[in-house]
Amino acid sequence: MKKKAKELISDLQDFYLLSYHGLMGVVRRPFYFKDLIEQMDYAGSGSFFIILLISLFIGMALSLQLSAELSRLGMKMYTGKIVGISIIREIGPVLTALVFAGRVGSGIASELGSMVLGHQVDTLRVFGVDPVKKLVTPRILSALIMLPVLTIIGDCVSLFGAYYIAVFVSHQSGTFFWSSIRDILIYENVLAGSIKPFIFGSLIACISCYMGLSTKGGAIGLRRTTTRAVVASFIAIIVADFILTRVLLYVLGFSV
Amino acid sequence: MIEFDRVSFSYGNRFVLNDLSFSVHEDERVAILGGSGDGKTTILKLIIGLLRPDSGKILIDGEDITEKTEDELRDIRIKFSMVFQDGALFDSLSVKENVAFPLREYTKMSEEEIDRKVRELLRRVGLEEAIGYMPEELSGGMHRRVAIMRSMAAFQPKMFLYDEATTGLDPVSADVICKLILDISEQGGGFIIVTHKVFDAFKLAERFMFLKSGTIIFDGDKKKMLHSTIPEIQIFLRELNWS
Ligand SMILES: Nc1ncnc2c1ncn2[C@@H]1O[C@H](COP(=O)(O)OP(=O)(O)OP(=O)(O)O)[C@@H](O)[C@H]1O
Ligand SMILES: [Mg+2]
Repeated sequence: MKKKAKELISDLQDFYLLSYHGLMGVVRRPFYFKDLIEQMDYAGSGSFFIILLISLFIGMALSLQLSAELSRLGMKMYTGKIVGISIIREIGPVLTALVFAGRVGSGIASELGSMVLGHQVDTLRVFGVDPVKKLVTPRILSALIMLPVLTIIGDCVSLFGAYYIAVFVSHQSGTFFWSSIRDILIYENVLAGSIKPFIFGSLIACISCYMGLSTKGGAIGLRRTTTRAVVASFIAIIVADFILTRVLLYVLGFSV
Repeated sequence: MIEFDRVSFSYGNRFVLNDLSFSVHEDERVAILGGSGDGKTTILKLIIGLLRPDSGKILIDGEDITEKTEDELRDIRIKFSMVFQDGALFDSLSVKENVAFPLREYTKMSEEEIDRKVRELLRRVGLEEAIGYMPEELSGGMHRRVAIMRSMAAFQPKMFLYDEATTGLDPVSADVICKLILDISEQGGGFIIVTHKVFDAFKLAERFMFLKSGTIIFDGDKKKMLHSTIPEIQIFLRELNWS
């Protein structure tokens, strides 16, 4: 038990060090620009269509549920407002991050893992290249750029899905739906929704890189690495989301 | 050139090397033999400072490398050419970019000079037409040949380190690699090859070390090894009777 705790602490320590050096690589030379572009391409093209698809359906399902419940209470006109707030502040960022972790994070972990097992990371060091700057920094940076972009796209698609259901299935007024969405696009909501993807993105990239680089033990080790990266990212996203929500609501002056 | 002074190494609480001492001169041709998991790769990684020993000293040209930082180790690493197990080419880069990688890191060559140098190196191992291939399109033997050329592309190493250079290859490809290793060494520079194939080791080396459970249980030339009565060595030597 004591040994396990000790191991956990030293793992966490390694994780913080890697994340710190990975992030610091952004401001320290040398900078591997080509790798950044490659990673952004991988992150973006890899998850774009899945995020479109999932966002659309979640937006539609949410709109359906709320229309049904609210029309029983005779408050159907609030559908747009509630759907909009849920998507922008909560569901959009979390959902996109979960998809990103499953699709891109797992890819990062398994790629780095197989580079470790194939001695490619050692080779980089032999050639005098810092693997953290060459491999970790571009991945963190690409997640920091791509996840917010994907989140915004996902939010828009979700809102569109919600609009479709509200207008064509639940027969509400389309202009009123959009005007209630416009009403909730105040600075507090937008800020609350757009800080999250940055935090989630750096968590996913740091966790996946750390898991990948600490791979050992052949094919089974690689499997363990990939699974762990995804599970740890999921937990980190959900927990961080709660903490962030709590902090943001407090900072922005909402009373619960 | 390389001196291990009572070196011990463990991964976590798993002991790999135990109080290991030996020294190797830079023009020697050495084979380190041993079973799987006996720590052969670990020894090579210690030599170029990829791993740090738990205790003991490792001297390269008289300098202790155990306390050096990653930047200081750069000067040590360019004395060696290291070819990892299975070649370790970068999957995401073409053959050309793989060989060009150290050139880009260590020299200020122009694109044309790099192209010329890469072609020259690949021609030497008969692979010029594979210049545009990706590593996954290469056979095992081609993979190793590219890796060997990459390891010596940017500078003239004093010594070559090969990790299992012939393992997993058919006899013909293995022979090609052996000839290449000897050919390179004739132009200057000894080598250490780590292997569990006695047959190839005999073709290449003049000095043999045998590693067992983290210590060297044998160190000597071919004749001494053939007459050794150590049971593990005799098991290894049986391979010779078959081939
Ligand atoms: N990163 C690591 N973490 C923990 N244990 C490791 C690690 N790398 C290697 N080991 C263990 O250390 C021992 C020595 O490993 P090493 O790679 O040096 O063996 P080897 O002699 O090269 O074997 P092989 O012929 O299979 O390549 C092995 O038992 C291996 O399981
Ligand atoms: Mg090995």
